[in-house]
Amino acid sequence: MNKKAGIGFYVFLVAFVFLVMFPFIWVFLTSIKPVGEIFSSFRWFTTSPTLDSYDAALTNRPLLRYMLNSFVVSGLTTLLSIAFASLTAYAVTRLPIKGKGLILGLVLAASMFPQIAIISPIFNLVTDLGLRNSYLGLVIPYITISLPLAIWILATFFKKIPFELEESAKLDGASPFQTFRKIIFPLAAPGVFTTGILVFIAAWNEYLFALTINSDDMWRTVPVGISMYQSQYSVPWGDISAATVIVTIPIVILVLFFQRRIVSGLTSGSMKE
Amino acid sequence: MKKNNRRGFQLNEKQLGYAMVLPSLLLVIAVVLWPVAQSFYNSLFDYRLNDPTRSQLMLGSTIDLERYVDNHFYIEGQLETLGSADEELAATATAIQEEIEGYHAELIQDEEMRQKVEKIDEMLASYTPVRDNELKYADLENDFAADYREALTNAQEELDAAAEQAPNEEVASTITQTADLLGATSANILESNFIGLANYGKYLKDSRMWGALGNTAFFTLVTVALELMIGLAVALLINRAFKGRGLVRASVLIPWAIPTAVAAMMWGFLYDGQSGIVAHYMETFNLIPGSSWLLSTADGGMFSIILADVWKTTPYMALLLLAGLQTIPGSLYEASNVDGANKWQQFWGITLPLLKSSVLVALLFRTLDAFRVFDLIYVLTGGGPANATESISVYAYKTLFAQQNFGEGSVLSVIVFLCVALISFIFVKLIGSDLFAGRTK
Repeated sequence: MNKKAGIGFYVFLVAFVFLVMFPFIWVFLTSIKPVGEIFSSFRWFTTSPTLDSYDAALTNRPLLRYMLNSFVVSGLTTLLSIAFASLTAYAVTRLPIKGKGLILGLVLAASMFPQIAIISPIFNLVTDLGLRNSYLGLVIPYITISLPLAIWILATFFKKIPFELEESAKLDGASPFQTFRKIIFPLAAPGVFTTGILVFIAAWNEYLFALTINSDDMWRTVPVGISMYQSQYSVPWGDISAATVIVTIPIVILVLFFQRRIVSGLTSGSMKE
Repeated sequence: MKKNNRRGFQLNEKQLGYAMVLPSLLLVIAVVLWPVAQSFYNSLFDYRLNDPTRSQLMLGSTIDLERYVDNHFYIEGQLETLGSADEELAATATAIQEEIEGYHAELIQDEEMRQKVEKIDEMLASYTPVRDNELKYADLENDFAADYREALTNAQEELDAAAEQAPNEEVASTITQTADLLGATSANILESNFIGLANYGKYLKDSRMWGALGNTAFFTLVTVALELMIGLAVALLINRAFKGRGLVRASVLIPWAIPTAVAAMMWGFLYDGQSGIVAHYMETFNLIPGSSWLLSTADGGMFSIILADVWKTTPYMALLLLAGLQTIPGSLYEASNVDGANKWQQFWGITLPLLKSSVLVALLFRTLDAFRVFDLIYVLTGGGPANATESISVYAYKTLFAQQNFGEGSVLSVIVFLCVALISFIFVKLIGSDLFAGRTK
């Protein structure tokens, strides 16, 4: 249904986008205000913009270190889960094995498990392995979130590739693994990349495991680090708004560049074709 | 190149298939299924990390060898000091010493136990902490453990009584010291902390648990309903060709993509009673009783959390539904136009039925996400004021990690798990096999 878009429609659209973006706009405007002004007035635009809050946000807490931690943990998680998930998704969608429904059911069930139900044994395990306050200590529990997600989305992408390709590869004498590695995987590369972005964002945003396992300030990730800006006695809104702007920038870039992919990954993950 | 006949090829494909599935399955079992089973097992124990007598899962009587060996080392010397300090007590001290040595000899009769004790003795002598729980703890026979513990506590009581009749302060303090040492040693012989379903019984009567469960259910119902309705309305409105789609899509994706904890901090600022712009405007327009209402009252707190969640998730819901709408062929609407159906009839007759499976799948994922809510509440209100916004996950987290009570905390985790399982079961029944359509053959 391709209705023409009228003036009223664009007014609605602008209002909608403004409402959605309002918290970001306000937080950005706050981040360039002098600290005194934040607490004294509700004016939108400051007459004397300053970067003091940014300076404070970066010096009062190791924000760049948080970002590095988040980047390394999410990157490792993405690589690991894509490696395992692409094998599984391929086998489940394209190889003649039994119990496909059971495997996918198990994967789906795993993705529905509440993190709070597994955190205490995982905490004990990571402690026993001596991995608290390390990157690996977070990558292991993140597999619980990312692996089922990756298998689930990759399965839809693998499914879309025409089956004739395998038939002809077989006729040409390629072994099943060669078919996967040289033909199907490269063809699915866009889908794999999309899945990678979604897994990366999921790992980047994780809070509960990061909060409990990496409790040392040098090993905190962005979500936990940000939430530690408020202390019991004062809430430095200037620092917080500047820090929020800084950590949101990479996400905004990611979304602007890959919005089409993200949407296709999101919808394929939750919708049948 | 290997020669393959068709049969052999099929077999290889199968083997490869299983080999490809295996690593992921093992990982899922190791990091998801095993922990859930372990959580359930933990919930049957009085298991507290911050209490040395209950920091292990003990099905039977157990001895904390590290502390026991350390205490036992001082007992003989302490009793001798006591004997020489107070002659009247010399006989008692010897009797106690003999009794303890008898039990100790019986304890190390077991070859394995003797080796462990010797090993720990060496480690203690060099001030090495015992980190290996296999070494640190050993099982005891229940009767022996009870007898030994009783002997130690009896001796402690006897000495405590004697301390009151001591001739002077100095002797009294020596006697008390000895009694305390014996008491400490008896506390190293641990009773089983297996309590079965007693923890569950406790939580079924716990009003805070029911409050948290109620908050979670309320939050889930309201947010998912709002997100579905607003999301559907937005999706229907923007399901048309217009300029700037990319920009709209990007702006809609950003709230979804930023960490919930960051969103919670942002909203915490917007809601702030003193400098929060949202609180300020709502007060100005008389929408709320006062600017501090949002975060300092029970209703305000719940409202704040719901609004922040709706803001963060509705755009995502709209995107999912929009994709579903776009799969509905336009010809259906054209045909119904010819038949004279109005927009409202088209919505109920065509759009909703064809959108049903997209809606159900989106609802399933959203409901489960909402029911598990943790970061938003933990960062924005911390569950307050007065637990009015505490979700069951937040309560479980506080019990597990703030109180270090892994037994009771696990009960709450298991309750979350059971609720999630029930919700999934109902949805999967509703959705049926559609969930796997397009993934398996």
